[in-house]
Amino acid sequence: MTRRISKYKRFMMMNPIVQFFKFIYLSIKVLIVVAGGHGGTRNA
Amino acid sequence: MAKIVVLGAGIAGHVAASHLRRKLSKKHDVVVVSPNGNYQWIPSNIWVGIGRMKPKDILFPLAPLYAKKHIDYKQAKAVSFHPEGDQEEAKPYVLSEYVVGDDKGKREKVTYDYLINATGPKLNFEATEGLSPGKNKTHSVCTYTHAQEAWIELEGLIKEMKQGKKIKILIGTGHAKSTCQGAAFEYILNVEQELRRHKVRDMAEITWISNEYNLGDFGMDGMLMSYGSNIMKSNEMVEMIFEDRGISWILGAGVNKVEDGVAYYETLDGDHKEESYDFAMLIPSFSGHGFKAYGKAGEDITDKLFRGFMIVDADYTPKPYEEWSVQDWPETYQNPSYSNIFAPGIAFAPPHSISKPRKSKNGTDITPAPPRTGMPSGITAKLVADNIIEMIKHSNNELHHKGSMGNMGAACIASAGFGMTKGSGISITTYPIVPDYKKYPDTHGRKLGKTFGSIGLAGHWLKLALHYAFIYKAKMKPFWWLIPE
Repeated sequence: MTRRISKYKRFMMMNPIVQFFKFIYLSIKVLIVVAGGHGGTRNA
Repeated sequence: MAKIVVLGAGIAGHVAASHLRRKLSKKHDVVVVSPNGNYQWIPSNIWVGIGRMKPKDILFPLAPLYAKKHIDYKQAKAVSFHPEGDQEEAKPYVLSEYVVGDDKGKREKVTYDYLINATGPKLNFEATEGLSPGKNKTHSVCTYTHAQEAWIELEGLIKEMKQGKKIKILIGTGHAKSTCQGAAFEYILNVEQELRRHKVRDMAEITWISNEYNLGDFGMDGMLMSYGSNIMKSNEMVEMIFEDRGISWILGAGVNKVEDGVAYYETLDGDHKEESYDFAMLIPSFSGHGFKAYGKAGEDITDKLFRGFMIVDADYTPKPYEEWSVQDWPETYQNPSYSNIFAPGIAFAPPHSISKPRKSKNGTDITPAPPRTGMPSGITAKLVADNIIEMIKHSNNELHHKGSMGNMGAACIASAGFGMTKGSGISITTYPIVPDYKKYPDTHGRKLGKTFGSIGLAGHWLKLALHYAFIYKAKMKPFWWLIPE
């Protein structure tokens, strides 16, 4: 096992308060990508 | 009045049937033909496979819902396609065979005006000698029953590890052309976390085996993505996660045979190797169901409908990787020979893989097949339903709704461990799914702002939120249609 994620980074990844705001941010961002529309490619 | 028959009640079939029923008046018939009596939210099978959810948490029976929503439901399997009818039946039909109840074994010609083939894939375990869920210490998480069996076996091994037994776990793809690396990726991380939770992580050696050329290929040729303020390749991200969790990996491996506790595979270098294990979860290859199609006079017209999966408006002209383009990918999922037949989701035949094709020195294809699961299945099913609705309402054959995987985004929220405070998830979005190297030449065919990765507890919450949201949506509860596919 090689430590590739620093203690600080891991703390940020697992901190519920930080992650709550990340959850809001991710939800919006995922919604933008998914609901952002789709279409054809042949007449683009 | 029109009759629309939907074959299959998985993500694509159920989405199509739901939207058709909501938007069409009751004078039109929506019929679902599916052998499986339950709807299952497949992405959560991972959690059944580690014992953190029960099958009942991820499924519900279809018959009561369809009865309530005025969707005609036949628990039957499709046998053959007759898009021109036959000498006795003027209308096109699908020959179906009931699989339960008093009618079990009885065959019926289910006629249609429009047909949506959403039969998904056949889990082609037979393509790999010895690969079968529950045999030779191999398991699957492709269905909830497979996932539950995997957990029962793993739980037993955890007990043995607590008594001091060391074991080897092998997770990945079980065939040179398997797809769905994402599901195996989720499972290996969840298994690793569960072993830590049970305080037996040091008793297990965990190995990833895959037909990918690079880690993080996922059958999508990998990704260049935004990661925080950095730009990172998906293989770098997955390598970081695997190293951090002590997971070793074998790449470019085409598993071709499984015996009791041993997987045999061929590498891209042409070497034949083997890997032993005590517990394996290997994703099989996916194939079409082998349906046959017949014309009016009973002649075989299978070639007009199928090339493994169903033929749609893709460009199937064989060409080298360098000449592939997003324009090869279908936009409307309509069969070119029969304009009233559509195949969204996994049921359509892709024009080629997305990842760069590679052969071993012995000539064996070792390339991930293109993924079409989850979100693309839902999106393509909805656009097919919308096109059929317009065809019915406006009595024309123009298809206004289009959705090429070369112009469509997708989110993959990969669970990396279960738990409200200890869980983790890897959230990856990609746009477009099929890289457009002409439009985005400097960013590996993808738009960077919409292709990003994030690791952390929020990813687990998001995956859990999506689990509940999509089951709510599938149950067609109030305002379900506001939740996007």
